[in-house]
Amino acid sequence: MRAQNMWRQIRKDKILYVMVIPGILYFFVFDYIPMYGVLMAFKDYSIFEGFMDSDWVGLANFQQLFNTYGFTRALRNTIIISIYQLVFAFPIPILLAILLNELRSVLYQRFVQTAIYLPHFVSWVIIGGIMFAILSPSTGVIYEIASFFGYEGKVTNFLNSKEYFRGLLVVSNIWKEAGFGTVLYMATIATINPQQYEAAKVDGAGKLRQMWHVTLPGLRTTIVILLIFRVGQLLNAGLEQVFALYSPLVYEVSEILDTYVYKLAFNEAKFALATATGVFKALVCLVLVLITNYIAKKIDSESGLF
Amino acid sequence: MGQIILVMFMLLMALLTLYPFWHVLMYSLSDPRRVLGGGILLIPRGFSLTSYQLLLDSKGVFDAYKNSLIRLVAGTSINIFMTTLFAYPLSVKRFIGRNSITLLVFFTMLFQGGMIPSYLLVKSLGMLDTLWALIIPGAISAWNFFIMKNYFQTISPEIEESASIDGASPLRTLFTIILPLSKPVIAAIALFYAVYHWNAYFDAVLYIQSQDTQVLQVFLRSMMNTSSLQQLGGADSFMTSIHAVTEESVKMATVVISVLPMLIVYPFIQKYYVKGIMIGSVKG
Repeated sequence: MRAQNMWRQIRKDKILYVMVIPGILYFFVFDYIPMYGVLMAFKDYSIFEGFMDSDWVGLANFQQLFNTYGFTRALRNTIIISIYQLVFAFPIPILLAILLNELRSVLYQRFVQTAIYLPHFVSWVIIGGIMFAILSPSTGVIYEIASFFGYEGKVTNFLNSKEYFRGLLVVSNIWKEAGFGTVLYMATIATINPQQYEAAKVDGAGKLRQMWHVTLPGLRTTIVILLIFRVGQLLNAGLEQVFALYSPLVYEVSEILDTYVYKLAFNEAKFALATATGVFKALVCLVLVLITNYIAKKIDSESGLF
Repeated sequence: MGQIILVMFMLLMALLTLYPFWHVLMYSLSDPRRVLGGGILLIPRGFSLTSYQLLLDSKGVFDAYKNSLIRLVAGTSINIFMTTLFAYPLSVKRFIGRNSITLLVFFTMLFQGGMIPSYLLVKSLGMLDTLWALIIPGAISAWNFFIMKNYFQTISPEIEESASIDGASPLRTLFTIILPLSKPVIAAIALFYAVYHWNAYFDAVLYIQSQDTQVLQVFLRSMMNTSSLQQLGGADSFMTSIHAVTEESVKMATVVISVLPMLIVYPFIQKYYVKGIMIGSVKG
């Protein structure tokens, strides 16, 4: 009887069941088939023999990776760059949001927001072009500044410098994303009860103390959640950014896992090793996301991603 | 007093963000013979449109522009169609199997096959070197799917059910009830997709080899990485004679031309984009 009801229901809604077919096909083909493709990481893949006929080699590819300088270098760079971004870039939007919130003129606040959100909408390739101009040691703004302080012609090309390149990744990331990063914090600040500020004022708190004792605590949960998710993305050190900005001169300090996968496959034709690198990254990511989501839920049951 | 310092500080932040764009624009408008030695801070040194002329005389820019526009329009339309088509049935409570399908979609956010298996798939589908490779593999973003599905769920249950009892077909309900009520979320998601398509470049690096099919961002990238004049096609005697002086200027003109469309639409879309981010951050 129940099964009969179910069938009647499905027949009545059959259009709904037809509608999901393209979507299911899409996810099957473009997400689940590549997941199956990762099995290549466990094969001795050669283009000539194809996927099916290549021999199984177990974990040999992974073993080889961990003994390859290129891989360990990429892994190290990925973690270092990620940690730099976490330490230096992550706090800036919080600071900016708190300060933006203190602006009395709503119109002016909007103007500043419109200005600082802008680079988020611009691709890394374009920003690479802009940086190329600004940092040019012979014509750029950096040249003007150095000349002003009497260091004419003594500027390094930061884009080609091993010492500065990682710093440049952090600074350019701040320039591009810090403004837009304030969006969620601003939204959270808007939900703080104004009475809390009134109460703080009555207690004699000045602006600074209000920021410290009301605004910042109001942001606490948002900060913790975003921080945790950022940690979950530890192995994503910014493929589009690095790929747009780096050059052979700075590979040593900026080759990350994603760019290494690309090079293994398309410069060296080592598809199995490249896939193994990808699988390693995807698995670590999965574990990190599961752990960080668990922690996020512990802190605030509402805020896990799932 | 504090407010004045704050206003000044924020002005500084805004200028620091905007100035680099201005600098590049001024550089591109300067007389190429006078840019060496710098001095372009607020206004161009001399004035010349030579770099733009050189750039616009080449075929590459137009192809790249055309391809990026096709990608933007076709890509976003397919995205919206596919995402809505998939999100609506799965937002209907009585749909049998919706939890398992949703779970399968969700899992794709946690684990992906990665660059190489995707590349081999696109290759075996014969999509390499076609714009399809930039449109079809990203037809539905799981993230946007969830935003849309959650939004549909916040409006639908009772209205949906009563429409169904009144004998309205699910399609009719979608078009006459759900979609009109979901305009903000659809606009926001269309913007997410559109901005993504306009700025994306790594997939084009992977999937597109031929110059004629290349998109604007990759055109700009090869322009920056190689000699811009060679990129524009050939180093004949005329080219080489002005080579040293205009190389950088042409690069800057390319940056300006690439960023211009976004700068023009940005003031109009910014508000809706930000609103969309907030809709998405409310967990459904």
